[in-house]
Amino acid sequence: MMVGTVVGHVWATKKDPTLSGLRFLVVQPFTLGEATAETVVVVDPLGAGIGERVLIVFGRAARHMIGRGQDVGFQAAVSAIIDKMELEGGRVVGPTAGEDKARS
Amino acid sequence: MFLGRVVGEVWATRKAADLGGLRLLVVQALDERRDPGAKKVTPVVAADPLGADMGEHVIVAFGKAARVATLGADGDYAFEAAIVGIVDDFEIPGAPEDWKMEDVLAWREARAGRPTADGGTKLR
Repeated sequence: MMVGTVVGHVWATKKDPTLSGLRFLVVQPFTLGEATAETVVVVDPLGAGIGERVLIVFGRAARHMIGRGQDVGFQAAVSAIIDKMELEGGRVVGPTAGEDKARS
Repeated sequence: MFLGRVVGEVWATRKAADLGGLRLLVVQALDERRDPGAKKVTPVVAADPLGADMGEHVIVAFGKAARVATLGADGDYAFEAAIVGIVDDFEIPGAPEDWKMEDVLAWREARAGRPTADGGTKLR
């Protein structure tokens, strides 16, 4: 599991039939230190918006979140939309980057 | 499976139903702290059935091991990483300075006097 920020949406018409009707997000993993340029594509059954921080799960947990049984052609999904993350040294991370400063 | 240090905690209201009541901690792998040049470290979020504290060293497992250790059985759950042990002590000759556990006791004392963080739902 990891925390990430939603940075975009993805649409695809030609795809595995087990994926039809699913919502796909592009998520940038939360890092300690410098921000990463890496992103992951995840299925979002919860309805997160751009800029929101989410909890990403992989594998069986992700297929469970997608809710179509274990025979589905995807392996990453949103399992929670984060309200708050408290880090060492009293740093508080809000639900969006904009709210970090407001709360810390 | 890896040895890590608890560096944070996460709260969420909108989440999978089976995450209800689970404490979610942010864990940084110790070997990612070895290299000061490692600027982009992605910490892992792990379910915590044991009650680890911020700053403590823990053992994190993934997949079936995580589900069994957290809920006693395998099944369809919306998590795949869990803290399966809180480290009492370890001996790794040549380990970097910041792997030390000496600050953990001091940290526990400091935290004991602190009120519960505001906002969000405490996942316990």
